Amino acid sequence: MDFEPSDTQRALLDALGTLLSRHAGTQRSRQLAVRGAYDHELESELRAAGFLDLFGDSGAGPLEATLAVERIGAELGAITPVPHLLVLPALGLPVPEGPVVLADHERSGPVRYGREARQILTAGTDRCAAAELSPDEAEPVPSAYGHPLARVVPRRAEELAPGTAGTMVRWWRVGVSAEALGMMQRAFDLTVAYTKDRTVFGRALGSLQALQHRLAELSVLLEGARWLTYEAAFRGATAESSAVAAAHTMAALHRLTRETHQITGAVGLTREHDLHLWTLRLQALRAELGGLRAHRRAVVTSRWGVAAA
Amino acid sequence: MEFALSEADAAFRSDLVGFLDRELAEGWNRSEHGLGSAVYTDFSRDFVRTLAAKGWLTPHWPKEYGGGGQGAWQHFVLGEEMWKRGEPRGPQYMNVNWVGPSLIKYGTEEQKAALLPPIARGEVFWCQGFSEPEAGTDLAALRTRAVREGEGYVLNGQKIWTSYANEADYCFLLARTGSVSDGRNGISVFLLPLSTPGVEVRRIDGFVGAHSFNELFLTDVRVPGNCLLGEENKGWDIVRRTLAYERVGAPRYARAARVLDGLADWCRAAGLLTDPGVQEQFGHARALCEAARVLVHRVIDERAKTKEPSPMAYQARAAMVQAERAVGDLALDVMGSEALVEQSPGDAQFRNSLGAGIAAGSYEVQLNLISRLILKLPKE
Repeated sequence: MDFEPSDTQRALLDALGTLLSRHAGTQRSRQLAVRGAYDHELESELRAAGFLDLFGDSGAGPLEATLAVERIGAELGAITPVPHLLVLPALGLPVPEGPVVLADHERSGPVRYGREARQILTAGTDRCAAAELSPDEAEPVPSAYGHPLARVVPRRAEELAPGTAGTMVRWWRVGVSAEALGMMQRAFDLTVAYTKDRTVFGRALGSLQALQHRLAELSVLLEGARWLTYEAAFRGATAESSAVAAAHTMAALHRLTRETHQITGAVGLTREHDLHLWTLRLQALRAELGGLRAHRRAVVTSRWGVAAA
Repeated sequence: MEFALSEADAAFRSDLVGFLDRELAEGWNRSEHGLGSAVYTDFSRDFVRTLAAKGWLTPHWPKEYGGGGQGAWQHFVLGEEMWKRGEPRGPQYMNVNWVGPSLIKYGTEEQKAALLPPIARGEVFWCQGFSEPEAGTDLAALRTRAVREGEGYVLNGQKIWTSYANEADYCFLLARTGSVSDGRNGISVFLLPLSTPGVEVRRIDGFVGAHSFNELFLTDVRVPGNCLLGEENKGWDIVRRTLAYERVGAPRYARAARVLDGLADWCRAAGLLTDPGVQEQFGHARALCEAARVLVHRVIDERAKTKEPSPMAYQARAAMVQAERAVGDLALDVMGSEALVEQSPGDAQFRNSLGAGIAAGSYEVQLNLISRLILKLPKE
C-alpha cells in the first residue's frame, strides 16, 4: 500500500498543471462559455503532450489517466476528458478529435457538447454501440449549467464486441467520479477560504462551529470519494469498486452543492463569483448514468449478485 | 500510489483467515454473547493465549518485548480480521494496540520487564481510566487527584464508563498531579493494579452490551512511585499519542461491513433485496463502509512509514462513525420489527451504532479537530 504519489505521478501532474494553467482555468472557461464552445485548442495541447495516451502508456496507466481527468475537471477544461482519457482507451478504440458523447440505452436527455460531437458511444445491456452524430440533427437546448447541451439522434450505429458495455460503464463511473472530484475540491476550497475572510457579527464566519462541523463533514466525504476513486482506477474499475466510488462521490456532490452555496450566501449565487463555474457544471455530472440512485443500486448488483432493480 | 497489500501481508491475511475459520466456532460473534458478558470475556481469555502462542497477539511489537517485529500492516490486518468477526480478543485489543506501545515508548526498563510480557502472552486485561463524571469530551477537566506521599502517591477520585473494569487486572489511569488551573499540564498517567486496596468497581447498567459500563471509585489508593508512567505532569502528551493509536485502532467499519453482508443475506431470503429503495440504502451503507476503510488505510500507510500521527486520523474516525450509523439505521429500516428481536443481525449493530460517535472521543470532537488542524478554520 502506498497513498503517496510516485515521482512519476508527481512529475506528470506538475506538467499537466503547467499546461492547464496556460490553456484552461476560470478565465478561459468564462470566455468559452459565452460561445458555448468546446475547447479544441486544449484538447490539441493535451494530445500533443501525450496526456490522451496515459491509459495504455507503459510508464503510466489507468490510475494516472484518472488523476489527469480529475485535474482537468478542477481547471474547468472544456473538453470531454472521460471518454478521451478513460473510456475509449479502455475499449481499445481510437480517440477522435472533438467531443465524444457517452450515453446509456436506458436514458435519453440532452448531452454535453451534443451539437459539436460527431461520435456517440451508447452502453447497451451487453454491447456498446458506436454511432455518428450529425450537427443538422442536434437540437441545442438552453441551459444555465455551464456546459453547452443538445439533444442528439445517433445514426448508423455499429455494435461493438460482447461485454463492452460493462467496460464502458465501469470506466465511465470512475471517470465521472474523478472529474467531479477535481471540481468539488475547487468549490470546497473556495468556500473554506471565503469563511476565513468573511466577517459576521464581528468574527470570522469560519469560526462558527455550526459551519465548521458541516465543512469538516464535507471534507470527510470528499476524502472518501478521492481515495475510493483512485483505488477503483488502480483495481482496473472492477464492477464493485467503480460503483462504490461513483455512489460515494455523487453523495458528496449532492451535499457539497447545497453547503457551498448556503455558506457563501448571496454572493455565491452571482456570475461574478467563481463558485458557480464548478457547482453548476457539477450538476451535469450528477445526472450521468442515472445518478446517485443508480450508482447505489449498482453497488448492490455487484456486491451481492442480485439483478438490477 | 498503490492500493494492494504486499505479498507477505496478503499471505499473512490468508493464513489468519484460515486460522480464524478453524478456531472460531460457526456463528461466533459478539452479538450472541454481548460485549463484556462472562461468556464473551471467558472466551477471549482462552482465545488470546492461542493467538499469543502463534505469535499473532503482538506481531508488531519489537521482538525484545515479546513481539514479532512485524510491520504496521500486519498488525492492522490482524485488527481488521478480528473486528470482522466481532473482536474475539475482547479487551485485549486495547493492550496490544496502545497500552503496550505506550509502555514501550514511555515506560522504564523495570516497568517494561514487569508489564509487557504478560500482555504479550495474553494473560492480563487492561482497562482505560480516562473519563470522569465531569470530564468526558473535555478530558482535560479531570479531577481525580494523585498526591505525593513519600516515594509513592495517594489517589482519590472517580472514573466512569470504564469498559471491562469488572474483569481487568490493571487500569491505564489519568490523574491530576498539578493544580486544576494547570489544565493539560497537570495530568499524569498511572499504571494501577486494580487489586490495590481502595479501588472499587461498580457496574452501570447500559444497553449497548451485557456489561460494558463501569464506575471506578478510588479512595485513598496508595501506589508506589513506579506506577507513574513517564514524567509527572506530562501525561497529556502520552494520552495524545495513545488516542492517536486508538482512533483507528479498532477498525469498526470491518464489522459494520460484515453485518451489512449478513443483512443482505437476510433481505435476500425475505425477498427484499430486489426492491429499488432497499438497494439504494444498501448501496449507501456499503459506500460509507468502503470510504471508512480506505481512509483508515491511508492512516495506516502513514504509520507504516513511521511518520508522526497526522490529523487525517480524525477524518478516518468520523467516516467510521458514519458507516456504523448507516448500517445500524439500515438494519432497523429494512428488517422492521425483526431487528428488535434480541440477537437478530440488526439488533447488535443498531445498539452498537448508538455508541459509535461517543467512545474514544466524540464525533463532534473529531469534527472540531478537522476544522482546526486540516481546514485551518479560525477560532475567533
